[in-house]
Amino acid sequence: MVRPGREGTTGQAVNDKDKRKLFDEVFLPHLVQAYRLARWLTGNAADAEDVVQEASLRAFRGIAGFGGINARAWALTVVRNTAYTWLLKNRSAAVVFTEDLDNAEQQRLERPAAEGEGTPESLLLARADAEEVQGAIAALPAPFREVIVLRELHELNYRDIAEITNAPIGTVMSRLSRARAMLIAALRNMS
Amino acid sequence: MSESSLDHDDGLLQAYVDGELDPASAAAFEQRLAADSGLRARYESLLSLRRLLHAVPRDEVPVDRLRSRIDAAVERKTGDRRSWRAIAAAVLVGAVLGAAATAAFVRPNSGQETSSLVVTNHIRGLLAPQPFDIASSDRHEIKPWFTSRLPESPQIVDLGGDGFSLLGGRVDVLGEQPVATVVYRHGGHTISLTTLRGPRAVSGGSIAGYNIRTWREGEFTYVAVADLPDADLERFKQAFLAGLSR
Repeated sequence: MVRPGREGTTGQAVNDKDKRKLFDEVFLPHLVQAYRLARWLTGNAADAEDVVQEASLRAFRGIAGFGGINARAWALTVVRNTAYTWLLKNRSAAVVFTEDLDNAEQQRLERPAAEGEGTPESLLLARADAEEVQGAIAALPAPFREVIVLRELHELNYRDIAEITNAPIGTVMSRLSRARAMLIAALRNMS
Repeated sequence: MSESSLDHDDGLLQAYVDGELDPASAAAFEQRLAADSGLRARYESLLSLRRLLHAVPRDEVPVDRLRSRIDAAVERKTGDRRSWRAIAAAVLVGAVLGAAATAAFVRPNSGQETSSLVVTNHIRGLLAPQPFDIASSDRHEIKPWFTSRLPESPQIVDLGGDGFSLLGGRVDVLGEQPVATVVYRHGGHTISLTTLRGPRAVSGGSIAGYNIRTWREGEFTYVAVADLPDADLERFKQAFLAGLSR
């Protein structure tokens, strides 16, 4: 006798088991990087944990959509997208998504080093300490912060960054260039 | 400034620094770098920036806790309907049995055992209607409450200004000894701070998804437990130490 209801349930369970296995192989190995990215995007440790948990669920549900290449980029894409949805929902006041710099920021960028006339920029920069550097990264608007974090801290190449941030490579390059200019300006003026 | 204002040299410079140029273009660019001191100065500040970025300390990642949170979340999705309470109860039973066995056969002197007992007390507090026996945000109320119950009352520091609000206190049992535990709250998380007399070896790390941080100050050993990231517990410790000397 055929019992379709039963069969449906079994099919679901088997499916879940396969999904779980795939999830363990694809997503979990990148947990540390997932957390670090979430930490930079949200700005604090407790939020980062919530985002990673939420992202894991999304990854688990969407594991069938994983194309089989570059698990790390896939995992970080899920984390990145989850982080922004999460931030919009829970911290909408705290996050700046715009790429348009206001006038003050623009002037700061273009202002020549006041104190450091004649001193090479690379030497001025060397005086910044880790806390200042962290602060300067955190102060970047989100589109610039994410590319610099993915490039310098996760050491991803342009193609992966373009995939994760859903932007053309040219845009990634110009954002990286701007992000670096902003960081240099911020850290130079600090020292 | 629009996004398209990336000039040609800057594009080459970024790509060179990031190792994204093909070998022939990289060689050509290196020749230009050697000849052009302005370009070289820009190159060097990018390298300085990179050194700074790479020197940023990496946060400790609470891998074990993340794993257990993810396991629990995914299990809920896959129709395994064990509730969180059931899991917590199982953990508690396990921990209590473990503690009982420990108390019966071994003196609770190793750091691992002490921290596992402190975590057991913390979990029991969380499962009780309230994690404390006296509810008060006033340290002048909590202190005498302890004095009347224990040979020695703990240091109670008001950390409300640092984001850790005082909830109250309770007496825990560690081995056969009653000990004072002060309870704080931080962003929806409960922190149990147990004070032990004298220098005691207590392991830090994490047990059953709870982070443990321990330190010595004066004649006491302090053990803080919470389901908070390590960094937050470290902040708690620092605030506590700063509060002591206020």
